[in-house]
Amino acid sequence: MKKMICLTINGKEYELAVVPNMTLADLLREELLLTGTKKGCELGDCGTCTVIMNGKAVNSCLVLAVQAAGKEITTVEGLETEKGLHPLQEKFIENGAIQCGFCTSGMLLSAKTLLDKNPKPDELEIRTAISGNLCRCTGYQKIVESIKDVSEGR
Amino acid sequence: MLLPKFEFHEPATVEEACRILGELGEKAKTLAGGTDLFVNMKKKVLAPEHVVSLDRIESLSELGSSNGMLRIGACVKAAEIAESHAVGGDFPALQGGASKLGSPLIRNLATIGGNLVSARPAADFPPPLMVYGAKAVLKSSTGERTVAVSDFIEGPGRTIISPEEILDSLLIEKPAAHSGSAYIKLGIREALEISLVNVAVFMTTEGPDGSIKAARVVMGSVGPTPLMSPSAEKVLLGEKPSGALYLAAGEAAAMDSRPIDDFRASADYKRAMVKELTRRALAQAYNEI
Amino acid sequence: MTEYHVINGRAPRLDAPAKATGRAVYVDDIKLPGMLHGALLQSPLAHARILSIDTSKALELPGVKSVLTAENASMVPYGVSPARYDETLFVKDQARYIGDEIAAVAAVDLETALEAVSLIHVEYEELPAVFTMEEAMAEGAPKIHEKYPGNICAEVHQEFGNVEEAFAQCDLIRTDTFLNKRQDGAFLEPNGVVADFDRNGYLTLHTSTQSPHYVMRIIAMVLGLPVGKVRVVKPYVGGGFGPKAATNSIELASCLLSMKTGKPVKMNFTREQVFLFSRARHQFKHTLTTGVKKDGTLMALTNECYLEGGAYASFGIATVYYAGSLLGAPYRLPNMKYDGYRLYTNRPACGAQRGHGGVAARAAWEQQIDFIAEELGMDPVEIRMKNSMEAGDITCNDFNTSSFGMKECIEAVKERSNWNEKKGKMPEGKGIGIATGFFVSGAGYPIYRSETAHSTVVIKLNEDGGTAHVLTGSAEIGQGSDTAMGMIAAEALGVPLDCIKVSSGDTDYSVDLGAYSSRQTLMTGHATKNAAEDLKGQVLDVLGEKLKVPVDQMDIKNGFVVFKGETPDFSGIRTIYAKEHRGFFDNPDWDEPLTFKEAARMAFLARGSMVGTGSYKPGNLGGKFKGAAVGTSPAYGPSAQVVEITVDKGTGKITIDRMTDAHDCGFAINRTSVEAQMQGSLSMGLGEAMFEEVKFDDKGRILNANLGEYKIATALDMPNVDTIIVESNEPNGPFGAKEVGEGAIMPTIPAILNALYDATGARIQELPLTPERVFKAILEKEEKEK
Repeated sequence: MKKMICLTINGKEYELAVVPNMTLADLLREELLLTGTKKGCELGDCGTCTVIMNGKAVNSCLVLAVQAAGKEITTVEGLETEKGLHPLQEKFIENGAIQCGFCTSGMLLSAKTLLDKNPKPDELEIRTAISGNLCRCTGYQKIVESIKDVSEGR
Repeated sequence: MLLPKFEFHEPATVEEACRILGELGEKAKTLAGGTDLFVNMKKKVLAPEHVVSLDRIESLSELGSSNGMLRIGACVKAAEIAESHAVGGDFPALQGGASKLGSPLIRNLATIGGNLVSARPAADFPPPLMVYGAKAVLKSSTGERTVAVSDFIEGPGRTIISPEEILDSLLIEKPAAHSGSAYIKLGIREALEISLVNVAVFMTTEGPDGSIKAARVVMGSVGPTPLMSPSAEKVLLGEKPSGALYLAAGEAAAMDSRPIDDFRASADYKRAMVKELTRRALAQAYNEI
Repeated sequence: MTEYHVINGRAPRLDAPAKATGRAVYVDDIKLPGMLHGALLQSPLAHARILSIDTSKALELPGVKSVLTAENASMVPYGVSPARYDETLFVKDQARYIGDEIAAVAAVDLETALEAVSLIHVEYEELPAVFTMEEAMAEGAPKIHEKYPGNICAEVHQEFGNVEEAFAQCDLIRTDTFLNKRQDGAFLEPNGVVADFDRNGYLTLHTSTQSPHYVMRIIAMVLGLPVGKVRVVKPYVGGGFGPKAATNSIELASCLLSMKTGKPVKMNFTREQVFLFSRARHQFKHTLTTGVKKDGTLMALTNECYLEGGAYASFGIATVYYAGSLLGAPYRLPNMKYDGYRLYTNRPACGAQRGHGGVAARAAWEQQIDFIAEELGMDPVEIRMKNSMEAGDITCNDFNTSSFGMKECIEAVKERSNWNEKKGKMPEGKGIGIATGFFVSGAGYPIYRSETAHSTVVIKLNEDGGTAHVLTGSAEIGQGSDTAMGMIAAEALGVPLDCIKVSSGDTDYSVDLGAYSSRQTLMTGHATKNAAEDLKGQVLDVLGEKLKVPVDQMDIKNGFVVFKGETPDFSGIRTIYAKEHRGFFDNPDWDEPLTFKEAARMAFLARGSMVGTGSYKPGNLGGKFKGAAVGTSPAYGPSAQVVEITVDKGTGKITIDRMTDAHDCGFAINRTSVEAQMQGSLSMGLGEAMFEEVKFDDKGRILNANLGEYKIATALDMPNVDTIIVESNEPNGPFGAKEVGEGAIMPTIPAILNALYDATGARIQELPLTPERVFKAILEKEEKEK
């Protein structure tokens, strides 16, 4: 039996009928065609499905769509505004912190929640904040540097 | 991967949750963070007909102290416990366990109650809760009972909670003066790890420099449940803290441990690590005093 | 000193904005109208005869559109190399590993497809299985493939020079063994496909692949379609690292299902299925015997290697050669003997993974060289410098090093890491280690015997001359090849990078062998450069006619035409251009030099479509002996690494404190991309050294088929890397460029091993360096010393 849910995604309100066993990741990707959120393992081991839910970065593959009712979700698509890209996006691009790009959405969102809470993190805090986001391509260095750059206003 | 189909319930109060569970019993599984339940459902280990979410019940998400007692609602997230001053001040081992669980993403979903009820031998919350002598409050439609956390877990994935009950909260008494505690988790990587071995310790001394008058050592991942070490306690009680004492306590704890060879590590190694981690945790705990 | 306008800089990647904003479309992001979902039935047993398959219940399930098994599917054998086409799409009689594909279903949604799979009833007769090299080789072991007695998939015997004679002249001879474990590619994006067979008989396959070309050929061959009617399109790919270069079962199954149903079919591997498919790094058991003179001169090496290969050959036929050939360098080694054996086992098939067969061999030998240095009382840097090859040297197995900055790399890491101040003076529990390595810049020969060009590129100039569109079948899998090709095209054509658009990864665009063996920068780069120069030549040709200036007196630089002699009067051209572009905003000013745009527009008006083509094929490389083809390459990239670690002796945990890496990439087309590949390569090497291992139970089931228990480095495990780019200017490379993607991983494992030995004196010759393994080794050493 489907349930009606209302939720806000990237600042926009949605009213949707969802089945209980649909995950938030699949809601975003399949129903709303917001495919920036990725599925790398579907078990919470890799972080490619990271979204921000009520200000916290979570694995959307482990959240039911019905659990997201009444909540505010930000996906990677919600980082840019009419004014342009988010500073994190700009720095990632500028510094070469993006290779295959599959971890990028999750990295950006984890980084955003870090900087929203702790605008001047040290390197250990940065690495800890993204420790749930695996990357097989970059070795993390340019990602960490990019987050540092944004925190230092570069 | 797909989750199997189920009926979803979202009670708004503890009473409503208990009523639903009372009706559904074994047909239902409670949902707190979902980091354990959904993984098992996707792997087809579990396929409950009903899932009862406790996520919306406000009282279960409250964390606060009153009258020297810390109350942590069962649905309080690991991330909140990892950052809470109320916890960090008096209960560093609990904060340690919370901050080492999984990853920051998992910590934003996983709950202290879920971690306890899913009862995995390597879980991060039970050992610290046990060294503080924490109690678990269980509620059902017919009443309420309080159980020591040390008596809560019966085996891997099994606790004394009955299908009609929910875990409401954890109660931890503020430790006596001159107490210290620590939690050490050994994993292969620095994040996203299930403990190879973990150890939580607690000690209280007579005055700031006195001998140990209370001590607890609990180890995880070296038995079907988290294990208390009565031998280590015996070694510690009445003695003055020292490196040699911690070593002896570690050896005693190793004797109490019951590790098995598994694909993560050998029993020998785990036993050796109980000794080493206990020794280190005791030194760390003493520094907190 | 040549001055470049585009290359050698740090241009941001062309595809980065799409990836940063969630716009990049990966294969699972693709939805087509009427699309069905497919699922596989895979063998639950490691070795079994299939007695019967009953698909009737699956076919009856509402929503199921097709069920395929060996009965109604093409059973044309395939694989990677024609010498070992030992796979079929579905198992006919004999399932050879847990995961071997038995059937495929297409249905209206994934749930129905999975349910249908569960309704297919298979009768198995379980057969005895072999899982390890030893079991596979044992007397009376069950045969996994009829054609291959003793379960030997491939055997290599090579000798260069004369090792026996050489050993007789050595002052020190050492034998060591080394064992690594099976790895997994662990790319973050699981394999996935969308196959679309249209009503005109044209098949399009969208797939997350490293080589659209090889996949296209295998599909055409197996499904009996003409090559020209099969199009493979690579969307954005979330990493490949080797395993995605092999054609996989869902690529074939989805195409067949689409042909049968007339609808597009989507299929994905779950993460578990990625592990079941594997085609990743083999387990290697090396026994190396090395002989040296007392002054450290390397004289001879015998290398015996056993590979545990899994149920099919895949890329393994090349792997077993690489495990020997890649020790021919980077040291001067006149005598080398190699005996390699790749065994079949009832486990997922192994294939190519970053560094291919060279990684374990390199780890083994670099570790042994350190032991030898210790016995001789030589510094590890010194012994390596002494034996290093230089540009122009030819290895005993006929690799020509046209550029080889090995010594520069060693010097660079020695300097940067402060080796001399640290070696022998590290505090308790800390250690420092060095190692070197090298790799090919593309294989000298394609995987299938052919005279084909390895890369072809087409560059189409827009009719207004504003944009040049590079069309290449090459595969951008995250390594940065699209950007590199864009930069090469821009440089060679003479225009700014923002005038170049790159489209890639589609077999409709051009033939390119794809992203494997670190070939694209050199090979696709050459083809791109040639195509751009061809195009430039065509434009200048027309310009020369119009202006009455010889072509060799003109060039294009930075979007402008430059004249070697006097600048002619080009006002006629400018006037025509202005008239054709009345109202446009970006017309050149009257006093601006003649622009490429104007010249290009003239060329279009004169000749119509302006298309430049380029292609690249390596010359005849390598020796004449059997297997000479494997390892030959137009260029080789050496590297050196110093790693510093701390060992927690109480637990055996290693912390990697610092990594210093120098890599000779010939010439960095994009400096940021080269650094990024170095850092990424090192993080994979670190993972393999410290944590990664695919584990099996005694029934052949993978115990850790997930990213929680198969552990790749997290951001808290990987330190920063001090990267040093060495540029030796490779004459065989476009603008002097050669590889970085795979070579950089080579020294990582041995540098860590050597640092560990330095820190603890404990010899560990098996990976991974889990805390338990290290702890036990330290204990054993301390016991021995008592």
